[in-house]
Amino acid sequence: MSQATHESRQQHLIQRYGTTLWPSFLIAGIASIAFFGNIDPETLQVQTLPDWNISRLGGYTIGFFMFWAVGLTSSVLSLALRGAGNQEQ
Amino acid sequence: MTGQDQQSDMYAAREKIHPREVDGTFQRLRHLAVVVLLGIYYGLPWLQWDGRQAVLFDLPSRQFHLFALTFWPQDFIYLALLLIIAALSLFFFTALAGRLWCGYACPQTVWTEAFIWMERLTEGKRQKRLKLDQSPWTREKILRRGSKHLLWIVFALFTGFTFVGYFTPILDLGQGVLTLSLGFWEWFWLLFYSLATWGNAGFLREQVCIYMCPYARFQSAMFDRNTLIISYDEERGEPRGGRSRKADPKAQGLGDCIDCNLCVQACPTGIDIREGLQYECIACAACIDACNGVMDKMDYPRGLIRYSTENAMAGKPARILRPRVVIYAVLLLTILSGVTYSLSQRVPLSAEVLADRNVVYREVDWSTIENVFTVRILNKDRVAHDYAIRVDGIEGIAAQVRDDRIRVEAGSTDSVVVRVQVPRDQIDGPGQPFRLILESLQDPDIRNVNTARFNGPRD
Repeated sequence: MSQATHESRQQHLIQRYGTTLWPSFLIAGIASIAFFGNIDPETLQVQTLPDWNISRLGGYTIGFFMFWAVGLTSSVLSLALRGAGNQEQ
Repeated sequence: MTGQDQQSDMYAAREKIHPREVDGTFQRLRHLAVVVLLGIYYGLPWLQWDGRQAVLFDLPSRQFHLFALTFWPQDFIYLALLLIIAALSLFFFTALAGRLWCGYACPQTVWTEAFIWMERLTEGKRQKRLKLDQSPWTREKILRRGSKHLLWIVFALFTGFTFVGYFTPILDLGQGVLTLSLGFWEWFWLLFYSLATWGNAGFLREQVCIYMCPYARFQSAMFDRNTLIISYDEERGEPRGGRSRKADPKAQGLGDCIDCNLCVQACPTGIDIREGLQYECIACAACIDACNGVMDKMDYPRGLIRYSTENAMAGKPARILRPRVVIYAVLLLTILSGVTYSLSQRVPLSAEVLADRNVVYREVDWSTIENVFTVRILNKDRVAHDYAIRVDGIEGIAAQVRDDRIRVEAGSTDSVVVRVQVPRDQIDGPGQPFRLILESLQDPDIRNVNTARFNGPRD
Protein backbone atom coordinates (compact mmCIF):
# COMPACT_ATOMS: atom_id res chain seq x y z
CA MET A 1 0.00 0.00 0.00
CA SER A 2 1.41 3.34 -1.02
CA GLN A 3 1.94 6.12 1.46
CA ALA A 4 -0.81 8.24 -0.11
CA THR A 5 -3.53 5.58 0.06
CA HIS A 6 -2.48 4.78 3.58
CA GLU A 7 -2.87 8.41 4.54
CA SER A 8 -6.16 8.88 2.79
CA ARG A 9 -7.45 5.77 4.54
CA GLN A 10 -6.39 7.30 7.79
CA GLN A 11 -8.14 10.46 6.73
CA HIS A 12 -11.25 8.52 5.93
CA LEU A 13 -11.15 6.96 9.37
CA ILE A 14 -10.91 10.37 11.04
CA GLN A 15 -13.89 11.50 8.94
CA ARG A 16 -15.89 8.55 10.20
CA TYR A 17 -15.01 9.17 13.82
CA GLY A 18 -15.59 12.88 13.30
CA THR A 19 -19.10 12.42 12.00
CA THR A 20 -20.20 9.81 14.54
CA LEU A 21 -18.26 9.93 17.80
CA TRP A 22 -18.07 13.68 18.06
CA PRO A 23 -21.67 14.86 17.46
CA SER A 24 -22.99 12.13 19.72
CA PHE A 25 -20.48 13.20 22.38
CA LEU A 26 -21.69 16.82 22.25
CA ILE A 27 -25.33 15.83 22.41
CA ALA A 28 -24.65 13.36 25.22
CA GLY A 29 -23.11 16.23 27.19
CA ILE A 30 -26.14 18.46 26.73
CA ALA A 31 -28.55 15.59 27.38
CA SER A 32 -26.73 14.67 30.60
CA ILE A 33 -26.92 18.25 31.86
CA ALA A 34 -30.63 18.48 31.09
CA PHE A 35 -31.41 15.03 32.50
CA PHE A 36 -29.35 15.09 35.68
CA GLY A 37 -30.18 18.73 36.31
CA ASN A 38 -33.69 17.52 36.98
CA ILE A 39 -33.20 13.96 38.17
CA ASP A 40 -30.95 12.83 40.97
CA PRO A 41 -29.13 9.62 39.99
CA GLU A 42 -29.29 8.50 43.63
CA THR A 43 -33.09 8.62 43.67
CA LEU A 44 -33.13 6.84 40.36
CA GLN A 45 -30.90 4.11 41.70
CA VAL A 46 -32.94 3.66 44.88
CA GLN A 47 -36.14 3.37 42.90
CA THR A 48 -34.87 1.09 40.13
CA LEU A 49 -31.87 -0.89 41.30
CA PRO A 50 -32.02 -0.80 45.11
CA ASP A 51 -29.58 -3.70 45.47
CA TRP A 52 -26.83 -2.01 43.52
CA ASN A 53 -24.37 0.36 45.02
CA ILE A 54 -23.82 3.20 42.55
CA SER A 55 -22.47 6.54 43.71
CA ARG A 56 -23.77 9.79 42.25
CA LEU A 57 -20.59 10.32 40.27
CA GLY A 58 -20.94 6.77 38.94
CA GLY A 59 -24.55 7.48 38.04
CA TYR A 60 -23.63 10.59 36.09
CA THR A 61 -20.89 8.74 34.25
CA ILE A 62 -23.06 5.76 33.35
CA GLY A 63 -25.82 8.12 32.23
CA PHE A 64 -23.45 10.14 30.09
CA PHE A 65 -22.06 7.06 28.37
CA MET A 66 -25.57 5.68 27.83
CA PHE A 67 -26.59 8.92 26.10
CA TRP A 68 -23.40 8.78 24.11
CA ALA A 69 -23.99 5.18 23.05
CA VAL A 70 -27.53 5.95 21.91
CA GLY A 71 -26.39 8.98 19.91
CA LEU A 72 -23.47 7.05 18.48
CA THR A 73 -25.71 4.22 17.29
CA SER A 74 -27.95 6.70 15.54
CA SER A 75 -24.98 8.51 13.96
CA VAL A 76 -23.43 5.26 12.74
CA LEU A 77 -26.76 4.25 11.20
CA SER A 78 -27.07 7.61 9.48
CA LEU A 79 -23.55 7.25 8.13
CA ALA A 80 -24.25 3.72 6.89
CA LEU A 81 -27.51 4.78 5.20
CA ARG A 82 -25.91 7.80 3.61
CA GLY A 83 -23.05 5.63 2.35
CA ALA A 84 -25.52 3.22 0.75
CA GLY A 85 -27.24 6.12 -0.97
CA ASN A 86 -23.94 7.31 -2.34
CA GLN A 87 -23.28 3.96 -3.97
CA GLU A 88 -26.45 4.17 -5.99
CA GLN A 89 -25.54 7.45 -7.56
CA MET B 1 -15.33 2.15 -8.81
CA THR B 2 -16.80 1.23 -5.46
CA GLY B 3 -18.18 3.71 -3.01
CA GLN B 4 -15.24 3.08 -0.75
CA ASP B 5 -12.76 4.19 -3.42
CA GLN B 6 -14.83 7.20 -4.34
CA GLN B 7 -14.86 8.29 -0.75
CA SER B 8 -11.17 7.92 -0.23
CA ASP B 9 -10.56 9.96 -3.37
CA MET B 10 -12.67 12.71 -1.99
CA TYR B 11 -10.43 13.09 1.00
CA ALA B 12 -7.04 14.15 -0.24
CA ALA B 13 -4.08 12.70 1.60
CA ARG B 14 -3.30 14.90 4.55
CA GLU B 15 0.17 15.82 5.50
CA LYS B 16 0.77 17.05 8.97
CA ILE B 17 0.48 20.81 8.97
CA HIS B 18 3.34 22.64 10.59
CA PRO B 19 2.16 26.23 10.65
CA ARG B 20 4.97 28.71 10.19
CA GLU B 21 5.62 30.95 13.17
CA VAL B 22 4.66 34.54 12.44
CA ASP B 23 4.69 37.66 14.50
CA GLY B 24 2.32 40.58 14.28
CA THR B 25 -0.51 42.40 15.99
CA PHE B 26 -3.07 39.66 15.63
CA GLN B 27 -0.74 36.87 16.65
CA ARG B 28 0.16 38.80 19.77
CA LEU B 29 -3.52 39.25 20.49
CA ARG B 30 -4.06 35.53 20.01
CA HIS B 31 -1.17 34.66 22.30
CA LEU B 32 -2.61 37.00 24.88
CA ALA B 33 -5.96 35.24 24.54
CA VAL B 34 -4.27 31.85 24.98
CA VAL B 35 -2.43 32.97 28.11
CA VAL B 36 -5.49 34.62 29.64
CA LEU B 37 -7.91 31.78 28.86
CA LEU B 38 -5.56 29.01 29.95
CA GLY B 39 -4.70 31.06 33.02
CA ILE B 40 -8.38 31.23 33.92
CA TYR B 41 -8.88 27.53 33.24
CA TYR B 42 -5.90 26.34 35.31
CA GLY B 43 -6.12 29.02 37.99
CA LEU B 44 -9.83 29.22 38.78
CA PRO B 45 -10.20 25.95 40.73
CA TRP B 46 -7.43 27.02 43.13
CA LEU B 47 -9.24 30.21 44.08
CA GLN B 48 -10.83 30.11 47.54
CA TRP B 49 -13.90 32.01 48.68
CA ASP B 50 -15.23 32.06 52.23
CA GLY B 51 -13.14 29.04 53.13
CA ARG B 52 -14.15 26.85 50.24
CA GLN B 53 -13.40 26.53 46.56
CA ALA B 54 -14.76 29.59 44.74
CA VAL B 55 -15.89 27.73 41.63
CA LEU B 56 -16.96 24.18 42.33
CA PHE B 57 -19.55 22.14 40.50
CA ASP B 58 -20.07 19.71 43.31
CA LEU B 59 -21.83 16.91 41.46
CA PRO B 60 -21.78 14.38 44.32
CA SER B 61 -23.81 16.72 46.54
CA ARG B 62 -25.68 18.37 43.67
CA GLN B 63 -24.66 21.95 44.41
CA PHE B 64 -22.88 24.46 42.21
CA HIS B 65 -20.76 27.02 44.00
CA LEU B 66 -19.97 30.18 42.10
CA PHE B 67 -18.20 32.65 44.37
CA ALA B 68 -20.87 33.97 46.77
CA LEU B 69 -23.69 32.08 45.06
CA THR B 70 -24.78 28.50 45.52
CA PHE B 71 -27.06 26.84 43.02
CA TRP B 72 -29.30 23.83 43.59
CA PRO B 73 -31.06 21.52 41.19
CA GLN B 74 -34.11 23.77 41.77
CA ASP B 75 -32.13 26.54 40.09
CA PHE B 76 -31.81 24.55 36.89
CA ILE B 77 -33.42 27.44 35.02
CA TYR B 78 -30.23 29.48 35.51
CA LEU B 79 -28.15 26.78 33.87
CA ALA B 80 -30.55 26.66 30.93
CA LEU B 81 -30.46 30.46 30.67
CA LEU B 82 -26.68 30.40 30.84
CA LEU B 83 -26.57 28.03 27.88
CA ILE B 84 -28.97 30.28 25.98
CA ILE B 85 -26.85 33.33 26.77
CA ALA B 86 -23.74 31.49 25.56
CA ALA B 87 -25.44 30.52 22.30
CA LEU B 88 -26.80 34.02 21.72
CA SER B 89 -23.40 35.60 22.37
CA LEU B 90 -21.91 33.24 19.83
CA PHE B 91 -24.56 34.27 17.27
CA PHE B 92 -24.06 37.94 18.06
CA PHE B 93 -20.29 37.93 17.74
CA THR B 94 -20.42 35.75 14.66
CA ALA B 95 -22.81 38.11 12.89
CA LEU B 96 -20.67 41.07 13.89
CA ALA B 97 -17.12 39.86 13.56
CA GLY B 98 -17.19 36.44 11.92
CA ARG B 99 -15.34 33.53 13.43
CA LEU B 100 -13.86 35.44 16.31
CA TRP B 101 -14.61 32.47 18.54
CA CYS B 102 -12.70 30.02 16.33
CA GLY B 103 -9.58 32.11 15.97
CA TYR B 104 -9.20 33.36 19.50
CA ALA B 105 -11.30 31.61 22.11
CA CYS B 106 -12.25 28.06 21.09
CA PRO B 107 -10.64 25.50 23.42
CA GLN B 108 -9.56 23.55 20.35
CA THR B 109 -7.59 26.56 19.09
CA VAL B 110 -6.27 27.54 22.48
CA TRP B 111 -4.96 24.09 23.41
CA THR B 112 -3.62 23.49 19.91
CA GLU B 113 -1.62 26.73 20.24
CA ALA B 114 -0.24 25.55 23.56
CA PHE B 115 0.67 22.15 22.11
CA ILE B 116 2.32 23.72 19.05
CA TRP B 117 4.31 25.92 21.37
CA MET B 118 5.62 22.82 23.15
CA GLU B 119 6.32 21.24 19.79
CA ARG B 120 8.38 24.28 18.82
CA LEU B 121 10.24 24.13 22.10
CA THR B 122 11.34 20.53 21.58
CA GLU B 123 11.43 20.03 17.82
CA GLY B 124 12.36 23.52 16.65
CA LYS B 125 10.88 25.83 14.09
CA ARG B 126 8.83 24.85 11.07
CA GLN B 127 11.72 23.97 8.73
CA LYS B 128 13.36 21.85 11.39
CA ARG B 129 10.13 20.05 12.16
CA LEU B 130 9.50 19.31 8.49
CA LYS B 131 13.02 17.87 8.23
CA LEU B 132 12.57 15.88 11.42
CA ASP B 133 9.38 14.32 10.03
CA GLN B 134 11.37 13.02 7.06
CA SER B 135 14.47 11.94 8.91
CA PRO B 136 15.09 8.33 10.02
CA TRP B 137 14.88 7.46 13.70
CA THR B 138 18.19 8.82 14.87
CA ARG B 139 19.14 9.40 18.47
CA GLU B 140 18.26 13.07 18.10
CA LYS B 141 14.84 12.37 16.65
CA ILE B 142 14.01 9.94 19.44
CA LEU B 143 15.16 12.46 22.02
CA ARG B 144 13.23 15.36 20.47
CA ARG B 145 10.07 13.39 19.81
CA GLY B 146 10.28 11.75 23.22
CA SER B 147 10.63 15.02 25.08
CA LYS B 148 7.78 16.53 23.06
CA HIS B 149 5.46 13.71 24.03
CA LEU B 150 6.63 13.83 27.61
CA LEU B 151 5.76 17.54 27.74
CA TRP B 152 2.44 16.93 26.01
CA ILE B 153 1.47 14.09 28.32
CA VAL B 154 2.39 15.97 31.49
CA PHE B 155 0.45 19.01 30.26
CA ALA B 156 -2.52 16.87 29.22
CA LEU B 157 -2.56 15.08 32.58
CA PHE B 158 -2.52 18.41 34.39
CA THR B 159 -5.38 19.53 32.15
CA GLY B 160 -7.38 16.42 33.07
CA PHE B 161 -6.56 16.93 36.72
CA THR B 162 -7.77 20.54 36.56
CA PHE B 163 -10.95 19.45 34.79
CA VAL B 164 -11.83 17.03 37.57
CA GLY B 165 -10.85 19.80 40.00
CA TYR B 166 -13.93 21.72 38.92
CA PHE B 167 -16.10 18.86 40.20
CA THR B 168 -14.17 17.57 43.20
CA PRO B 169 -12.45 20.01 45.59
CA ILE B 170 -9.06 20.39 43.94
CA LEU B 171 -7.04 20.32 47.16
CA ASP B 172 -8.52 16.95 48.13
CA LEU B 173 -8.05 15.82 44.57
CA GLY B 174 -4.36 16.77 44.65
CA GLN B 175 -3.91 14.82 47.84
CA GLY B 176 -5.80 11.88 46.36
CA VAL B 177 -3.53 11.84 43.32
CA LEU B 178 -0.37 12.06 45.42
CA THR B 179 -1.46 9.21 47.68
CA LEU B 180 -3.06 7.31 44.76
CA SER B 181 -6.31 7.13 46.67
CA LEU B 182 -8.83 8.65 44.24
CA GLY B 183 -12.16 7.01 43.58
CA PHE B 184 -12.58 5.01 40.38
CA TRP B 185 -14.71 7.62 38.60
CA GLU B 186 -12.31 10.40 39.41
CA TRP B 187 -9.40 8.44 37.92
CA PHE B 188 -11.56 7.62 34.97
CA TRP B 189 -12.49 11.23 34.17
CA LEU B 190 -8.97 12.49 34.85
CA LEU B 191 -7.49 10.06 32.34
CA PHE B 192 -10.36 10.40 29.87
CA TYR B 193 -10.05 14.16 29.72
CA SER B 194 -6.25 13.99 29.50
CA LEU B 195 -6.49 11.56 26.63
CA ALA B 196 -9.00 13.76 24.82
CA THR B 197 -6.77 16.83 25.27
CA TRP B 198 -3.70 14.97 24.06
CA GLY B 199 -5.49 13.57 21.01
CA ASN B 200 -7.38 16.74 20.06
CA ALA B 201 -4.60 19.27 20.57
CA GLY B 202 -1.64 17.06 19.67
CA PHE B 203 -2.90 15.09 16.70
CA LEU B 204 -6.33 16.01 15.37
CA ARG B 205 -5.89 19.78 15.52
CA GLU B 206 -7.36 21.52 12.45
CA GLN B 207 -9.17 18.32 11.48
CA VAL B 208 -11.50 18.90 14.42
CA CYS B 209 -12.43 22.26 12.89
CA ILE B 210 -12.72 20.93 9.37
CA TYR B 211 -14.43 17.58 9.89
CA MET B 212 -15.96 17.59 13.34
CA CYS B 213 -17.10 21.04 14.30
CA PRO B 214 -20.84 21.68 13.86
CA TYR B 215 -20.37 25.42 14.37
CA ALA B 216 -18.06 25.60 11.35
CA ARG B 217 -20.92 24.30 9.23
CA PHE B 218 -23.66 26.45 10.75
CA GLN B 219 -21.83 29.74 11.07
CA SER B 220 -22.53 30.69 7.44
CA ALA B 221 -26.18 31.07 8.48
CA MET B 222 -25.18 33.91 10.79
CA PHE B 223 -23.01 35.59 8.16
CA ASP B 224 -24.08 38.33 5.86
CA ARG B 225 -22.26 40.67 3.50
CA ASN B 226 -21.33 42.98 6.39
CA THR B 227 -19.72 40.34 8.59
CA LEU B 228 -16.04 40.74 9.27
CA ILE B 229 -14.02 38.19 7.31
CA ILE B 230 -10.39 37.74 6.41
CA SER B 231 -9.91 38.38 2.77
CA TYR B 232 -7.25 38.78 0.16
CA ASP B 233 -7.50 41.92 -1.96
CA GLU B 234 -7.48 40.23 -5.31
CA GLU B 235 -7.70 43.42 -7.31
CA ARG B 236 -4.59 44.77 -5.66
CA GLY B 237 -2.64 41.53 -5.48
CA GLU B 238 -3.12 39.98 -8.92
CA PRO B 239 -1.40 39.07 -11.11
CA ARG B 240 0.90 37.68 -8.46
CA GLY B 241 4.52 36.84 -9.07
CA GLY B 242 8.07 37.04 -7.78
CA ARG B 243 10.08 40.15 -8.33
CA SER B 244 13.12 41.88 -6.90
CA ARG B 245 12.64 44.40 -4.14
CA LYS B 246 13.69 47.28 -6.34
CA ALA B 247 11.60 46.38 -9.35
CA ASP B 248 8.51 48.41 -10.12
CA PRO B 249 5.67 45.93 -10.20
CA LYS B 250 3.55 48.11 -12.43
CA ALA B 251 6.24 48.16 -15.11
CA GLN B 252 6.34 44.35 -14.97
CA GLY B 253 2.57 44.16 -15.07
CA LEU B 254 2.39 42.59 -11.59
CA GLY B 255 0.08 43.14 -8.64
CA ASP B 256 1.28 43.50 -5.04
CA CYS B 257 1.31 39.77 -4.20
CA ILE B 258 4.89 38.53 -4.52
CA ASP B 259 3.70 34.91 -4.29
CA CYS B 260 6.02 34.14 -1.36
CA ASN B 261 3.50 31.61 -0.03
CA LEU B 262 4.06 32.72 3.56
CA CYS B 263 0.32 33.15 4.06
CA VAL B 264 -0.15 29.49 3.13
CA GLN B 265 2.69 28.33 5.35
CA ALA B 266 1.36 30.29 8.30
CA CYS B 267 -2.15 28.85 8.00
CA PRO B 268 -2.94 26.34 10.74
CA THR B 269 -5.63 24.72 8.58
CA GLY B 270 -3.44 24.62 5.47
CA ILE B 271 -5.56 26.69 3.08
CA ASP B 272 -4.65 29.39 0.62
CA ILE B 273 -6.63 32.51 1.56
CA ARG B 274 -6.02 33.90 -1.94
CA GLU B 275 -8.53 31.43 -3.27
CA GLY B 276 -11.29 33.27 -1.45
CA LEU B 277 -13.33 32.65 1.69
CA GLN B 278 -13.31 28.96 2.66
CA TYR B 279 -15.13 27.17 5.42
CA GLU B 280 -11.83 25.78 6.72
CA CYS B 281 -10.70 29.30 7.63
CA ILE B 282 -10.84 29.75 11.40
CA ALA B 283 -10.10 33.48 11.13
CA CYS B 284 -6.92 33.31 13.18
CA ALA B 285 -5.40 36.14 11.10
CA ALA B 286 -1.99 34.44 10.91
CA CYS B 287 -1.97 35.11 7.15
CA ILE B 288 -2.65 38.81 7.77
CA ASP B 289 0.37 39.08 10.03
CA ALA B 290 2.54 37.04 7.68
CA CYS B 291 1.54 39.15 4.69
CA ASN B 292 1.90 42.46 6.53
CA GLY B 293 5.45 41.48 7.45
CA VAL B 294 6.21 40.85 3.79
CA MET B 295 4.54 44.09 2.68
CA ASP B 296 6.71 45.99 5.19
CA LYS B 297 9.84 44.39 3.78
CA MET B 298 8.78 45.23 0.24
CA ASP B 299 7.83 48.79 1.22
CA TYR B 300 4.29 48.18 0.01
CA PRO B 301 1.31 49.36 2.03
CA ARG B 302 -0.05 46.81 4.50
CA GLY B 303 -3.41 45.12 4.19
CA LEU B 304 -3.14 43.02 1.04
CA ILE B 305 -4.75 40.40 3.27
CA ARG B 306 -6.93 42.06 5.89
CA TYR B 307 -10.04 41.95 8.00
CA SER B 308 -12.78 43.22 5.76
CA THR B 309 -16.38 42.58 4.76
CA GLU B 310 -17.82 41.37 1.51
CA ASN B 311 -19.47 44.73 1.01
CA ALA B 312 -16.29 46.64 1.69
CA MET B 313 -14.37 44.46 -0.75
CA ALA B 314 -16.99 45.22 -3.38
CA GLY B 315 -16.61 48.92 -2.70
CA LYS B 316 -19.99 49.27 -1.02
CA PRO B 317 -20.46 51.01 2.32
CA ALA B 318 -20.16 48.67 5.32
CA ARG B 319 -22.91 48.71 7.92
CA ILE B 320 -22.42 47.59 11.46
CA LEU B 321 -25.98 47.97 12.73
CA ARG B 322 -28.06 45.48 10.77
CA PRO B 323 -31.37 43.98 11.83
CA ARG B 324 -29.81 40.64 12.77
CA VAL B 325 -27.11 42.26 14.90
CA VAL B 326 -29.70 44.42 16.64
CA ILE B 327 -32.04 41.48 17.24
CA TYR B 328 -29.27 39.31 18.71
CA ALA B 329 -28.11 42.23 20.86
CA VAL B 330 -31.60 43.01 22.16
CA LEU B 331 -32.31 39.36 22.98
CA LEU B 332 -28.96 39.00 24.68
CA LEU B 333 -29.37 42.17 26.76
CA THR B 334 -32.91 41.25 27.77
CA ILE B 335 -31.96 37.80 29.02
CA LEU B 336 -28.77 39.05 30.65
CA SER B 337 -30.52 41.81 32.58
CA GLY B 338 -33.33 39.41 33.50
CA VAL B 339 -30.86 36.91 34.93
CA THR B 340 -28.92 39.62 36.75
CA TYR B 341 -32.09 41.03 38.29
CA SER B 342 -33.37 37.64 39.29
CA LEU B 343 -29.99 36.72 40.83
CA SER B 344 -29.92 39.94 42.83
CA GLN B 345 -33.42 39.19 44.15
CA ARG B 346 -32.58 35.58 44.88
CA VAL B 347 -33.24 34.38 48.43
CA PRO B 348 -31.46 31.25 49.68
CA LEU B 349 -34.73 29.65 50.69
CA SER B 350 -37.43 27.89 48.77
CA ALA B 351 -40.60 26.16 49.82
CA GLU B 352 -43.30 24.02 48.30
CA VAL B 353 -46.79 24.00 49.79
CA LEU B 354 -48.72 20.81 49.20
CA ALA B 355 -52.36 20.43 50.24
CA ASP B 356 -53.43 17.19 51.90
CA ARG B 357 -54.83 15.06 49.13
CA ASN B 358 -57.07 12.85 51.26
CA VAL B 359 -59.08 15.33 53.26
CA VAL B 360 -60.09 18.56 51.54
CA TYR B 361 -61.23 20.26 54.76
CA ARG B 362 -62.10 19.35 58.30
CA GLU B 363 -64.55 20.93 60.68
CA VAL B 364 -62.67 21.44 63.91
CA ASP B 365 -65.74 22.77 65.76
CA TRP B 366 -68.89 24.71 64.90
CA SER B 367 -67.02 27.83 64.02
CA THR B 368 -63.66 26.68 62.63
CA ILE B 369 -62.60 25.00 59.37
CA GLU B 370 -59.17 23.46 58.98
CA ASN B 371 -56.98 22.55 55.97
CA VAL B 372 -53.77 20.56 56.35
CA PHE B 373 -50.73 21.38 54.27
CA THR B 374 -47.27 19.89 54.02
CA VAL B 375 -44.57 22.50 53.55
CA ARG B 376 -41.29 21.31 52.12
CA ILE B 377 -38.54 23.74 53.09
CA LEU B 378 -35.20 23.88 51.30
CA ASN B 379 -32.52 25.88 53.06
CA LYS B 380 -30.21 26.94 50.22
CA ASP B 381 -27.98 28.96 52.52
CA ARG B 382 -24.58 27.89 53.78
CA VAL B 383 -25.66 28.10 57.44
CA ALA B 384 -28.51 26.52 59.37
CA HIS B 385 -31.67 28.59 59.92
CA ASP B 386 -34.69 28.51 62.21
CA TYR B 387 -37.83 29.38 60.34
CA ALA B 388 -41.21 30.58 61.52
CA ILE B 389 -44.40 30.11 59.53
CA ARG B 390 -47.28 32.56 59.45
CA VAL B 391 -50.29 32.99 57.23
CA ASP B 392 -52.39 35.94 56.12
CA GLY B 393 -54.86 36.97 53.42
CA ILE B 394 -58.11 35.82 55.07
CA GLU B 395 -59.65 37.50 58.09
CA GLY B 396 -58.96 35.48 61.23
CA ILE B 397 -56.69 32.91 59.52
CA ALA B 398 -54.19 31.14 61.76
CA ALA B 399 -51.54 28.47 61.36
CA GLN B 400 -50.65 25.76 63.80
CA VAL B 401 -47.28 24.10 63.58
CA ARG B 402 -45.89 21.44 65.89
CA ASP B 403 -42.93 23.68 66.57
CA ASP B 404 -42.76 27.43 66.21
CA ARG B 405 -39.09 27.22 65.26
CA ILE B 406 -38.37 24.92 62.38
CA ARG B 407 -34.68 24.24 62.19
CA VAL B 408 -33.26 23.28 58.79
CA GLU B 409 -29.55 22.58 58.39
CA ALA B 410 -27.48 24.24 55.66
CA GLY B 411 -28.29 22.74 52.29
CA SER B 412 -30.97 20.44 53.69
CA THR B 413 -34.66 19.98 53.20
CA ASP B 414 -37.31 19.37 55.80
CA SER B 415 -41.07 18.85 55.63
CA VAL B 416 -43.45 20.22 58.22
CA VAL B 417 -47.17 19.73 58.60
CA VAL B 418 -49.07 23.01 58.92
CA ARG B 419 -52.69 23.10 60.06
CA VAL B 420 -54.36 26.23 58.75
CA GLN B 421 -57.61 27.29 60.43
CA VAL B 422 -60.15 29.84 59.25
CA PRO B 423 -63.39 30.94 61.02
CA ARG B 424 -66.42 29.47 59.27
CA ASP B 425 -68.02 32.86 58.73
CA GLN B 426 -65.01 33.95 56.64
CA ILE B 427 -65.39 31.08 54.19
CA ASP B 428 -66.39 32.45 50.84
CA GLY B 429 -66.47 29.70 48.27
CA PRO B 430 -63.85 27.04 47.51
CA GLY B 431 -60.20 27.75 46.83
CA GLN B 432 -59.77 31.05 48.65
CA PRO B 433 -56.19 32.25 48.19
CA PHE B 434 -54.05 33.01 51.21
CA ARG B 435 -50.36 33.66 51.75
CA LEU B 436 -48.05 31.35 53.62
CA ILE B 437 -44.95 33.18 54.75
CA LEU B 438 -41.79 31.46 55.81
CA GLU B 439 -39.26 33.68 57.55
CA SER B 440 -35.84 33.05 59.00
CA LEU B 441 -35.54 34.03 62.66
CA GLN B 442 -31.84 34.79 62.16
CA ASP B 443 -32.24 36.95 59.08
CA PRO B 444 -35.69 38.46 58.34
CA ASP B 445 -34.54 39.26 54.79
CA ILE B 446 -34.58 35.56 54.08
CA ARG B 447 -38.26 34.94 53.56
CA ASN B 448 -40.38 33.05 51.15
CA VAL B 449 -43.97 33.87 50.29
CA ASN B 450 -46.17 31.18 48.83
CA THR B 451 -49.75 31.51 47.69
CA ALA B 452 -51.95 28.54 48.52
CA ARG B 453 -55.70 27.91 48.44
CA PHE B 454 -57.99 27.27 51.34
CA ASN B 455 -61.00 25.01 50.90
CA GLY B 456 -64.14 25.05 52.97
CA PRO B 457 -67.77 23.94 52.76
CA ARG B 458 -69.73 25.43 49.87
CA ASP B 459 -72.70 26.86 51.77
